[in-house]
Amino acid sequence: MKFSYNWLRELVEGLDASPRELAQLITLKTAESEGVETHGSDHVIEIDNKSLTHRPDLWGHHGMAREVAAILGRLLFDPVKHIEFRGEAPLRVRIDDHELCPRYSALVLENVTVQPSPLWLAQRLEAVGLNPINNIVDVTNFVLAEIAQPMHAFDAAKLQGGEIIVRSALGGETIQALNEESYALDPSNLVIADSGGPIAIAGIIGGAESAISDSTTRIVLESANFNASSVRKTSAKLKLRTDASMRFEKAQDPVNTIRGLERAFALLQEVSPGIRLVGGLADNYRPQPLQAPIVLPLDWLDRKLGRAIPGEEVRRILESLEFRVEVIEPRVFSVFVPSWRATKDVAIKDDLVEEVGRMIGYDSIPPIAPLTPASVPPASPQREFHYQVRKTAASQGFTEVQNYSFVSEEMARAFSLDPAAHVQVVSPIASDQNLLRTSLLPGIWKNINDNARHFEHFRLFEIGRAIYPDREVPRFAAALYAKDDGAAGLFELKRLAECALPGVSIHPTDSSASYEHPRRAADVLYGDSKLGRLFEFHPRMIEGGRAAVLDLDLSRLFELQPGSSRYRPLRRFPESAFDLSVLAAPRALIADVQSAIVILAGEPLLSIAFLREFTLPTPSGEKARSLSYRLTVGATDRTLSADEVGAIRSRIIDGMRAAGYELKV
Amino acid sequence: MGPEQIISELHAAALSSLERATTLDAIEAVRVEALGRKGKLAEISKTFGKLTPEERASAGKLLNSVKQDLETRLDARKDALASVARDARLESEWIDLTAPAPGVRPGSLHPITQVQRELEELFISLGFAVLDGPEVETERYNFDALNIPADHPARDAQDTFWLKDGRLLRTHTSPVQIHALEKLGPPLKVIAPGRVFRNEEVDASHEHTFYQLEGMMVDRDVSVAHLLYFMKTLLSAIFHRDVTVRLRPGFFPFVEPGFELDIQCLICGGKGCPVCKQSGWVELLPCGLVNPAVLRHGGVDPEQWNGFAFGLGLTRLAMMRYGVDDIRLFAGGDLRFLKQF
Repeated sequence: MKFSYNWLRELVEGLDASPRELAQLITLKTAESEGVETHGSDHVIEIDNKSLTHRPDLWGHHGMAREVAAILGRLLFDPVKHIEFRGEAPLRVRIDDHELCPRYSALVLENVTVQPSPLWLAQRLEAVGLNPINNIVDVTNFVLAEIAQPMHAFDAAKLQGGEIIVRSALGGETIQALNEESYALDPSNLVIADSGGPIAIAGIIGGAESAISDSTTRIVLESANFNASSVRKTSAKLKLRTDASMRFEKAQDPVNTIRGLERAFALLQEVSPGIRLVGGLADNYRPQPLQAPIVLPLDWLDRKLGRAIPGEEVRRILESLEFRVEVIEPRVFSVFVPSWRATKDVAIKDDLVEEVGRMIGYDSIPPIAPLTPASVPPASPQREFHYQVRKTAASQGFTEVQNYSFVSEEMARAFSLDPAAHVQVVSPIASDQNLLRTSLLPGIWKNINDNARHFEHFRLFEIGRAIYPDREVPRFAAALYAKDDGAAGLFELKRLAECALPGVSIHPTDSSASYEHPRRAADVLYGDSKLGRLFEFHPRMIEGGRAAVLDLDLSRLFELQPGSSRYRPLRRFPESAFDLSVLAAPRALIADVQSAIVILAGEPLLSIAFLREFTLPTPSGEKARSLSYRLTVGATDRTLSADEVGAIRSRIIDGMRAAGYELKV
Repeated sequence: MGPEQIISELHAAALSSLERATTLDAIEAVRVEALGRKGKLAEISKTFGKLTPEERASAGKLLNSVKQDLETRLDARKDALASVARDARLESEWIDLTAPAPGVRPGSLHPITQVQRELEELFISLGFAVLDGPEVETERYNFDALNIPADHPARDAQDTFWLKDGRLLRTHTSPVQIHALEKLGPPLKVIAPGRVFRNEEVDASHEHTFYQLEGMMVDRDVSVAHLLYFMKTLLSAIFHRDVTVRLRPGFFPFVEPGFELDIQCLICGGKGCPVCKQSGWVELLPCGLVNPAVLRHGGVDPEQWNGFAFGLGLTRLAMMRYGVDDIRLFAGGDLRFLKQF
């Protein structure tokens, strides 16, 4: 919203602040200024519309002038002079639903001369970004910019029947609007109609047919009030925002319709000499219930602001903003809200805290530490766990990325995910980013290929949410890229998994997804519980190198975190250790052989560690693997004798042989 | 020659041999010859029987002092030789310590994670609990319960990603206010950092995905002065230095009164740059006293309780902190950027 500095100066007595000072004051006390620009001999202060959404009165210069006068302690001039419109209503106004149109006021004027506006009027409009058109239209726009009352002038000769009807549009009705666009209307749109059909879209734009033209001699001057929500919906539906609709959307004051006519008539007499009223005022309205005054206890106000403010100062501030103040008991005010603040802005005593607070200046309030009992806040162990995982990954060289939550259907399919099982976005940022991710892998995959352009090798990870229709699940994914054969990366990630949750195991699977290396893919398990996957991306998906990936359900990982455990006494008796080497098939699993040994060893086995493997030829010419393990055995109550240890060893060897393994002894 | 003279000569001879010995073996030979059980000094002591008691005492005394002297010198000589050998070995053990150390270097946490973590720790130390909320929200939590009804113009300011199932991606972390009121009840002090979404065109200072940190305190008689106290404590801790701030009215339906806390742009120092849109100020903290309607929506009686709330742009804060002038870098996944933190 643009405000003319010269215009404000006409409305505030002795305004001596410079345009920049004024903009700064308005920013600090009322609404956010976005800058000051010179416009001929005038200056224009641009105020951010978003900071005016709750203030219908500030969509006109008079409303802003009231703020300025209050801030500076000056007198405010009212440009509207009261006029008594006597005589019969010159036309009938029918309002079907007063909820949608609380008030419709109109004058009929004749002996109109349509001509260009005088310079002062044209300049005012241009300064605030409105195009001068002709004296009649310009006056309506001037009133809009001055007192925030949108108005419209119809050419009376083009109206059919003697009645203005405010009604819902009928299905199939269309209107050719002033902007030369045609709009198809439906019953959710409120229109102004005559007996021939719609002549304006209520509160938004007038029709072309009844527009003011050079030949116009008689006009109907509309000054109405429309329901904010209705105007907003129609404006959004028709994709048509106008200076009028922007104001009505903010819930304008129904009292203002008459002020609009008074001001417009005064101006028209000036710019269209000889113009005459036909009859009196047409005014159809539903009486507005008076808003009850707000009871404002001053002690409560002080407690809310955290600073004592003398009652006299509170009163001065409220009265400077034209609230009426009555003292109902010592230190309790009864505050009457002016009509232009009562439409939805100020309704409860909390709203008055703001009026007083901003005017005394928030900077005048000293910061005070609250006196509350000391307490330890409830912990958030899951969040803490996520942070530990982040630190673990970072300590092992992985750098954290954050990817978007959106994926395309194509990408979902590439990762074996069903697009239909995803939550879908109605109007995505890009037409193909219409799904909410259920996997971190598409993002990680993109990260790998993007970064492969800049690095020979790298490690990265992400913690983010997989979003399903019924739940959000935190997930962890890490990747390691290198220009090698890819094997080392898988073991780095295996170590990362073991660090994140000691006790996880890796179980290679025969079946793999299309994006996985068919022989380098495994489930990550904890006991029988599946936590995720460890795999290498299928080499066809990665340019120039190999990429290993660890993909985990972080919520499962969290649930499985061990609590604090009890101390185990140190062993009192020495342990014994011996090594075993088992000959196994080329694709036998180290873990499987180890499990077999563990079962055979039984209770005396304290620990077992895989030592090394080497390949050796068998008599049949095939290759075999020799897998070596170190076993540590012992008892809690004595030192095992050499014979006992030998017996354990023999039992294992015999057992393994019986199970079909060959052992080098 | 009397025994004392012989002892003196043996002493001199042994010292002379020791002088010439350059190996441990040679030194040992000197020791055996002079001090060994069958050594020369042992031999001479056998002749002491012939002496008078006075002579014997005198010769014995000399013998002991010579033995002690030789032993000391032998040890010293051995030590000297050993230290030469050790020095030689150490000398040969030179390595080039400018060679790179092997092993992987730590990666980095995302700058937003770092800023977020710092704030979480700060608020926990001030007695706040850290809460989480869903990223997919209902209209009620994201708008209605926050006093933003369907036709409210404030919805214009928050371009929303609506979902086909009628829900939406939260446009701010404020819905956690309602979750907190429902779940914890008053009194409470909570923060809720997290990812939020706005359906906006992306450029250097706008992203459709970014991070906020919501904060709320509800108690008896919470005032603007208390809010100011927390905000000032917060900002001085965040920036580790004095920042210039200003407060001004701001309209947010879920607070009343509401205000904007701006800080002077740390990138340009207030002169004006693209990040601060040439204004020299950056909106950092919308805040205010919790609107009674919000408390009621959360099931809390506003006549009994009140509070303050604030929303901090974590992404914007990270931009300020690290001087990042393009918001798109945060979700770009480019390690050339992320490894800098």
